[in-house]
Amino acid sequence: MQFSSIVFIFVFLPFIVTAYYLVPQKFKTPVMLVASLVFYAWGEPVYLVLLILSVAFNYFCGNDIEERRGEPWLARRSLFVGVAVNLLILGFFKYYGWLLGTFNTLFSVSIPYRVLSLPIGLSFYTLQALGYLVDVYHGEAKAQKNVFRFALYMMMFPKLGAGPLVQYASFEPQLERQVVNVYTLGRGASKFVCGLAKKVLLADRMGEVFAQVYALQMETFSILTAWVGVVAFAFQIYFDFSGYSDMAQGLGMMFGFELGINFRYPYTAKSVAEFWRRWHVSLGSWFKKYVYIPLGGNRGDTTACVRNIFVVWLLIGVWHGAKWNLVLWGFFFGVVVVLEKYVWGGWLAGFPDFVRHIYTFVVVSIGWVLFFGSDTGYAMDYLEIMFGFGRRALVDQQSLYLIVTHWALFVLCVLCSSMRGWDLFRTMTEGYKNVLVRRLAVSVFYLLLFVVSIAFLATEECVPFLYYAV
Amino acid sequence: MTEDGGKMRMVGKTRKNGIKKKSGLALLADMFSISVTAVGKWLVMALILAYVAFLLWYTGGSTKPFEEVAQAVENNLNTENLVKRDGQALKRYYGLNSADYAGVLFYSSEFSISAEEVLIIEANSETQVQEIRDAVEARLEGRKENFSDYAPKQAMMIEQAAILVRGKYVFVAVSPDAERYAEVFRKSL
Repeated sequence: MQFSSIVFIFVFLPFIVTAYYLVPQKFKTPVMLVASLVFYAWGEPVYLVLLILSVAFNYFCGNDIEERRGEPWLARRSLFVGVAVNLLILGFFKYYGWLLGTFNTLFSVSIPYRVLSLPIGLSFYTLQALGYLVDVYHGEAKAQKNVFRFALYMMMFPKLGAGPLVQYASFEPQLERQVVNVYTLGRGASKFVCGLAKKVLLADRMGEVFAQVYALQMETFSILTAWVGVVAFAFQIYFDFSGYSDMAQGLGMMFGFELGINFRYPYTAKSVAEFWRRWHVSLGSWFKKYVYIPLGGNRGDTTACVRNIFVVWLLIGVWHGAKWNLVLWGFFFGVVVVLEKYVWGGWLAGFPDFVRHIYTFVVVSIGWVLFFGSDTGYAMDYLEIMFGFGRRALVDQQSLYLIVTHWALFVLCVLCSSMRGWDLFRTMTEGYKNVLVRRLAVSVFYLLLFVVSIAFLATEECVPFLYYAV
Repeated sequence: MTEDGGKMRMVGKTRKNGIKKKSGLALLADMFSISVTAVGKWLVMALILAYVAFLLWYTGGSTKPFEEVAQAVENNLNTENLVKRDGQALKRYYGLNSADYAGVLFYSSEFSISAEEVLIIEANSETQVQEIRDAVEARLEGRKENFSDYAPKQAMMIEQAAILVRGKYVFVAVSPDAERYAEVFRKSL
């Protein structure tokens, strides 16, 4: 089920919120669990069993590791089994077909194989499970003895589809008791509406612009058309994923959970390294804690540090999907981050802010081409056009048409992806001295956002979140 | 299970007479002298393996060439009442463009009084699979309504149509032999 679907907003959510607020504290966890199971089964009934088995396996594994803490070798073996099984499940569903397909292509053979579709959320809940097992092994968290609370951590519906990735040690106290009241409901609802508007009003509309460019024959592209396409995708993926994250965060608040921030205005970054500290924060933190630091982080010599950065970035690339251009995408950012760290970082700092913003956006855009390209060849051809290689027109009617018909949307996206948009909103709604008027202005603003978003949802097809495919 | 943080070696409820009744997991754990959690872990692991095997067999798609799959099904079709159709028919009946897909095999009855038809399509993407499913549902729903007035047996046959989605393959059979055709299709993957 999608957060941005009519069924979710007008049937599922009101019913669950009412039930959750009415039942006593001890029944809140079961209500949330049932809601999460229904939510998951709605879209993927066949994978519900896999999710439940995965939760059960990690529950037993966590407790097994804790029981064996007195015998380090046995505890390590238990951790190894837990990590291996989680990775094997992820590997089988996500990478097995890709690797066999690559093998067939490389050796010009056609070994037939059976394929299964990727279960929604598998990439996310696998990382959470791995983090939990490692935390229990290191004694940073106690293994959860209550299977229902553990299941809630693994599969609560606000974060089940595409995160945010929540680390167990920080989340554990919230599993004990959820505080819900009118304030948390209101705060959560406004965050949810904000995310819904980002998704429906900005991401999906930018998606239409991008789809128009993507559907064109590349031979007919001008340089400007290529840039319009990549900028549209940059905004689409940002508002799609940050909209999803806002909705997840808002839903979490409504049910008494703090899920953490996933985006901090990434397009305002002045370097690529900073961009990645602001984009998908929970994923960055996960890889830093469970891969980069255990590898040695930046403690060793330059060679070791560079190696660690590349390992992390290749893993991030592969995690995003089973495609060679995503491996290249990860490698590309590994190279840029290393270059910023050791070659031009200091030099870059001397430039005015606007130059650094442009540099970051251009480099990130190159990354997006590798990300959305159907294959590596397509991405390379697209990049050639963007940077004017080959005989290409600078501007054509197609690009001008797209800009003229969508300029207001582009301006709105620029505003909303920076702090300026937020400042504007505060000026519009919080500038009133009278508290009552201020509250009324804020309420009217969110109500308007909600009504307009629903109007779009009622007339347009519900577009799945891009990160559901990760 | 205990919630006090202690080892979970004893699982069960204490009866009134003081004798503990052990659960299946605890009995297994005692049998192999290992902890309940370890038994649970290995047991669930085995269940995961079995479930993945089940998924592969019953829902897994195949990378076998379309021609091989289509040939296997075609060889087993009872074509007494069926005629092989082209892309135009697919467009007319299902609203689908055969050129968009990796492969299409479409048979339907030559008599308008019969609802019998068999369709196999190999899509190029997951999105196309959904598009085909929607078209199939719309087609079957429409035909069921048409037949229900004057040929209830045909409407019943549509009701019992075999629809299978295996990876990028979509299989539809409206026929008295629908189940047999579906089995042939399944085995051909």
